[in-house]
Amino acid sequence: MVTLTINGTEYSIDADADTPLLWVLRDEVGLTGTKFGCGMGLCGACSVLLEGEITRSCVLPLSSVAGKSIVTIEGLSKDKSHPVQRAWIEESVPQCGYCQSGMILAAVALLHRTPHPTDADVDASMTNICRCGTYNRVRKAIHRAAAASAEGAPKDLEQRGRAGIG
Amino acid sequence: MQNIARRELPMVNRRDFVRAAVAIGGGLALAVDLHAQEGGPLPPRPAGLPKPPSAFVQIGDDDMITIVTPAVEMGQGGHTSMPMIIMEELGGDWQRLRVQDAPAAAVYNNPMFGQQSTVGSFSVRGWYAELRRIGAAAREMLVQTAAMQWGVPVSECSAAHSSITHRPSGRSLSFGSLAARAAQLPVPQQPALKPTDNFSLIGTSPKRVDIEDKVDGSARYGIDVRLPDMLYGAIKACPTLRGKLRSFDDSAAKQVAGYHATVALSDAVIVVAHSYWQARKALDKVKVDYDLGALATLDSAQVSQLLRAGIAEPGAVARHEGDVPTALAGATTMLEAVYEVPYLAHACMEPMNCTARVDEQGCEIWCGTQAPQAVQHAAADALGIAADRVQVHTLYLGGGFGRRGEADYAAQAATAAKAAGRPVKLIWSREEDIQHDFYRPAVAIRFRGGVDSSGQLVALDCSVATSSTPEFAARGGPAFYTGGVADTTYAIPNFRVTGVNKDIGVRFGFWRSVSDSHNPFMLEGFIDEVAHHTKQDPYRFRRSMLQSENGRRQLAVLDLIAQKAGWDRPAPGHFFGISAFQSFGSVIGTVAEVSVKDKVVTLHRVVTAIDCGTAIHLDNIRAQLEGGMVYGLSAALRGEITLEHGAVRQGNFNDYPVLMLAQMPRVDCFVVPSSAPPGGVGEPGTAPIAPALCNAIFAATGTRVRSLPLSQQGFSFAVKRI
Repeated sequence: MVTLTINGTEYSIDADADTPLLWVLRDEVGLTGTKFGCGMGLCGACSVLLEGEITRSCVLPLSSVAGKSIVTIEGLSKDKSHPVQRAWIEESVPQCGYCQSGMILAAVALLHRTPHPTDADVDASMTNICRCGTYNRVRKAIHRAAAASAEGAPKDLEQRGRAGIG
Repeated sequence: MQNIARRELPMVNRRDFVRAAVAIGGGLALAVDLHAQEGGPLPPRPAGLPKPPSAFVQIGDDDMITIVTPAVEMGQGGHTSMPMIIMEELGGDWQRLRVQDAPAAAVYNNPMFGQQSTVGSFSVRGWYAELRRIGAAAREMLVQTAAMQWGVPVSECSAAHSSITHRPSGRSLSFGSLAARAAQLPVPQQPALKPTDNFSLIGTSPKRVDIEDKVDGSARYGIDVRLPDMLYGAIKACPTLRGKLRSFDDSAAKQVAGYHATVALSDAVIVVAHSYWQARKALDKVKVDYDLGALATLDSAQVSQLLRAGIAEPGAVARHEGDVPTALAGATTMLEAVYEVPYLAHACMEPMNCTARVDEQGCEIWCGTQAPQAVQHAAADALGIAADRVQVHTLYLGGGFGRRGEADYAAQAATAAKAAGRPVKLIWSREEDIQHDFYRPAVAIRFRGGVDSSGQLVALDCSVATSSTPEFAARGGPAFYTGGVADTTYAIPNFRVTGVNKDIGVRFGFWRSVSDSHNPFMLEGFIDEVAHHTKQDPYRFRRSMLQSENGRRQLAVLDLIAQKAGWDRPAPGHFFGISAFQSFGSVIGTVAEVSVKDKVVTLHRVVTAIDCGTAIHLDNIRAQLEGGMVYGLSAALRGEITLEHGAVRQGNFNDYPVLMLAQMPRVDCFVVPSSAPPGGVGEPGTAPIAPALCNAIFAATGTRVRSLPLSQQGFSFAVKRI
């Protein structure tokens, strides 16, 4: 049995120790917002925040996250109110949307590290794959969220970071 | 707005699904049973009659409007554009909208081509007239009900914001309060349509209905379905294309914790287990003996050789105007060039998957699909039961691009579920997804052009060779794979297109923009060669061939993109390439702006314009232009599927690289205002970037790229946004 905290709730997971966290989240816990895209950590669809750091969960065995704290897309807010989610809605970023859980969390992690990222910062950090080609709107939404947070709630992001939820 | 039916789908059984749907439908529900599988097939509908509104619109006494969309949602906006058309005529309040996917049923066959498929950029243009009629019919029934209640003439009543208002007195009644009684009225067969000048929704950009679900993880894709008692399946198919399973040894697989069953298909093995990870681990331990099959020695060099032989063969004539051989012989200047492109994979973000439940009553399927009836029939055929015993639940697609028009995974999942005796969610690995795709074919074209002394292209001969083509026979007209060249709008007095299908045996796939993903690249490249060779400006050379009425729309798009790009004034060290053509009933054009140093290409900017007739959702069109461009650019830069010993060499995003955010150019998209009937939007955006980019590279370097991807031609790629 492995115990870990997901979106603030403690879980005891009974699964093979080598089960990637991705499949623990999806199949054992029932949180299907984190997606399977490649199984090799190449595409980022499986991204979660592990102790506040952006991490690809498809190559992360359960045994390595014992006692750790994880935030998935479902844990960002109860009501789509996170500044990044709001920016994503306002810029109409998603098309098919399958990559967007990972994309949003990557953006959250970027903005936590770098509250006012340049385009070069965005290029370097946002390596999630999107086959629908939403990239320019992703960039625009990140800048929008950064501006909104500058006006609104920089402390909110900081507090989330300390709590390990980006 | 919430799609409540979608949220309920994953954990309910079939009876609950029907009950929930009836509850939503309480109100304007006219006779037709949406969920016919419960009681038997829908009565056959005579061709040509209007479709019943009740299959598409249901208004509850709670004033919620449930629209059943005949187009699926794969990111192209199908769940938004279809309802917009109905709601415009209906006068419904957009905030009260709920959207459901259609079940597999003939009433949802696209009027334009008679199938229930979200393909071919056909949804808006095929459904536009019919959905307007449906919305208008429902509106008239509501108006009539209100008018009867008030005792006033129908002509004094209007519908807007989900209310009927009597204009002279200002009285109003909500749709919800009228719906049940309106349902008793006969359906008007020829309702009056709104004058297009009065459109208040079509042509705007309301919030897409799926956006909110897609930012918090609540959007459900096929891969997310969870059923009581469900098991998981992992699959591996014979690595060589068209190879078969001979035998297998699953003794080691059975030792893996969670193992449930091994299911043999004709060409693949599925292991079913209690979790997907356990199924994968067990599958890896299955030893399989394959009959590698007739393609086991095929490699990409042979494919190329076959195509090069094909372009030299006489071929079926797709088009012949004038007398090409004579005109070529008499031309002042003759040019010849051969273009070639490789196989391409779809690489949808969501790997192929399907969930099936089989019992004595029949079968239920859950998946993202562009073609619910194809899924229905594939599962029925695999199980040996009648199609009407198969119920299909369509969910959001994590990418379609034509791949999810196929139903191979439905047959697999149904077979696995029947063998396992429990519901099975079958998930393909990314490697299986890339190595067992339905591929965009490898194609070559040999061009021979003849130019007269005045610089006019007087003769053009195009010999097309394809490596695969769809199974359906062309219903007359030019061969399928000559689309995008045979139907060119350029006025060329002597013009011939012939085609040969070398039919190598690799499965044909509809890939976003289909034949327009390769033929316009090649034709527009050759046209550009002719222009440069005869020292004519490529933009003005194209203009000269678009002077008739037939070329009017394309000329307008060409002029627009040249103007927006600043064609005559590139920045120092920057070069332009241009391409424009008709595509899926629209006209699309692109200018690419590059600079090149030591074969490193910097793509600064892309300017794209579309004339798609009446625009439904303006922002979505721009998103489709940009997203479609990315799909095409990705392929042009590094996309190729190669074969070795009959097997696909690529397997994941490390060896089938796709475009990344850091490689994005600046993109400016323009939609030509028009009140003409709608043209296609989902696919045209993919087609013009390859020719525009390669034409720009020639302008910058003098090197003509006639073969893709660019990475194989020694070019690499940097991006700098201006």
